[in-house]
Amino acid sequence: MIEQAVSYLEVTQNGDGGWGYFGGQQSAVEPTSAAVIGLAAASRDRLAREAAMDWLLSAQNADGGWGLTMGDGDSGWQTAWALLALDGYGLAAAVVERGRNWLLAADFLHFQETDVGQDKDPVLGIDLKLNGWPWQPGQATWVEPTALALLALRHPPTGAQPRLNEAVAYLLDRRCQGGGWNVGNPYMFGAALPARAQPTALALVALTHSLVEAITTSDLETLHRESHHEGTAWATALSALALRALDEDVTEEQASLRALQGGDGGWEGSPYATGLALLALSGEL
Amino acid sequence: MSLRFDRRTFLRLLGASGAGLFLGLGAKQATDPEGMASLRVRLGWLLRGQWLQHTGRPSRVALAECASYDSGLLDCLRELWSQAAMPEVRGRRVLVKPNLIDAIEGYPITTAPAVLGAVVDLLRELGAAEVVVGDGPGFRRDARPVVSECGLAQVLGARNVPFVDLNYDEPRPVPAPAGWFGPTRELWLPRHLREADLIVSLPKLKTHHWAGVSLSLKNLYGLLPGARYGWPKNVLHVNGVTSSILGMYQAARSLAPVVSVVDGITGMEGDGPLFGSPMAHGLLAAGSEPVAVDAVCAGLMGFSLHEVDHLEVAAAAGVGQATRIEVVGASIDRLRRNYKRPPRAE
Repeated sequence: MIEQAVSYLEVTQNGDGGWGYFGGQQSAVEPTSAAVIGLAAASRDRLAREAAMDWLLSAQNADGGWGLTMGDGDSGWQTAWALLALDGYGLAAAVVERGRNWLLAADFLHFQETDVGQDKDPVLGIDLKLNGWPWQPGQATWVEPTALALLALRHPPTGAQPRLNEAVAYLLDRRCQGGGWNVGNPYMFGAALPARAQPTALALVALTHSLVEAITTSDLETLHRESHHEGTAWATALSALALRALDEDVTEEQASLRALQGGDGGWEGSPYATGLALLALSGEL
Repeated sequence: MSLRFDRRTFLRLLGASGAGLFLGLGAKQATDPEGMASLRVRLGWLLRGQWLQHTGRPSRVALAECASYDSGLLDCLRELWSQAAMPEVRGRRVLVKPNLIDAIEGYPITTAPAVLGAVVDLLRELGAAEVVVGDGPGFRRDARPVVSECGLAQVLGARNVPFVDLNYDEPRPVPAPAGWFGPTRELWLPRHLREADLIVSLPKLKTHHWAGVSLSLKNLYGLLPGARYGWPKNVLHVNGVTSSILGMYQAARSLAPVVSVVDGITGMEGDGPLFGSPMAHGLLAAGSEPVAVDAVCAGLMGFSLHEVDHLEVAAAAGVGQATRIEVVGASIDRLRRNYKRPPRAE
């Protein structure tokens, strides 16, 4: 099963060394990083990984961050994915440091202190004083880029801790009613918006490394329910990663992944989903 | 440099004032070259708006009464398409863009699969070279569960029509329409949009707490790829809802003609776009000019043009024909309703 998945990634790797979200698509930072991390977890295919690393190194912008793909000069949330892939790759230490610096400095939409008040915003039901990370600089902050940034900055440089602490508080504030997370809008005009599998899984992995005691049974129940409901390899793989990080049993998720693997060895025709599935079957994020 | 906004401004960023587009003409614009260029662009809008309102050719919007999703949709749409004098379809690659922002059980959030199926059938009947259905949901990282949950997967499967998640559809940069996205010079847009010969915006007729109404113009938010901009499409909110709605429309129509077919058989009133109540409206509308279609549909929901920022600005800026409209087909009086307004942030 692992070998087939590795073969799928070999076949779908682009000539430039990267992978697209789906087979045959242009290389992009997120799927390339996911494939690299998956291959590394499976301890397979060193050469393919190195070509991908070279692509990631080349795709870094002058400001130290990464955008969607090579040539996208607007660095954004993809930076966290690139850092997760490059972390531990000895030759890239300087690159990683520049990336971390970009991520730590990534600015977001600020609100005037006089208007955020002491209480939660009456419309959004959130504490506007708390911020995590935006998808792109200058925007409001959201759950998934915050969780990814917390993971990418697990070994923070001096002085970074206050921002990381606030990001953890941000995640807790944006938790949905009944547990779990969605994009970062738990309420709208008093209505509770439902949690979803992907952001819940990533928030749980991030919290496992930063404030594991804040995770509740409701969060895990939500993750189970939503990933079962979606039933995709992508959601199942992320769910397995979150459960594994929490030392929970992942037998059921791994069995689901086996059942979902395609005849070509990949999942859902997607190097991205395949990288995540490979990681879920072999290691930890 | 930090961007600073008060809470009210933040909420307005999620539902910005259209008037600001015009009132923003100040000293800066008069003294620096970019400001002057911006001033020229905005004066051009105003002149075009005046021309369209007073002497422009009327746009045609066709209406049909259709009580349910159960039968007769294809016949109804065939008639609408003809009455609305829609553009030629034969030999064209068509992107059909439904509203799939999210699926929450019990709420009529998405375009009804039956209407989408009938539109696909009609486009094929009219000789389209290729029909692709695509959207980039704003609240869901993966569109496939939305497609399944709202019942669309079955309709697409039965017709062997591909669905493209526009959030991951090989985005590439195209020029941003001047004046609508601040200093942004380019927008990254998905491949199937860039390669389309015709775009059919196929929204659900509903209220929207930031935009007033969500129709064929607001529906185009889903063209912006999350893989580059994130979920939700916060860059559009920060840019201002009104300018983003009209900017996205102009970006899309710079690539291919955009036409509208509106699913208002069951609309949504009150707390739209997600938690509103169903409204049995029995309306289908179509036209080759989305601004005109949306102006008529908003009117049928009981909204005046002045209640919907982006339609008011569209009229003033000449983005489309929002005032001189020829309505054909079903009786407009029989289709008038008074939708409960969405909650709005102060």
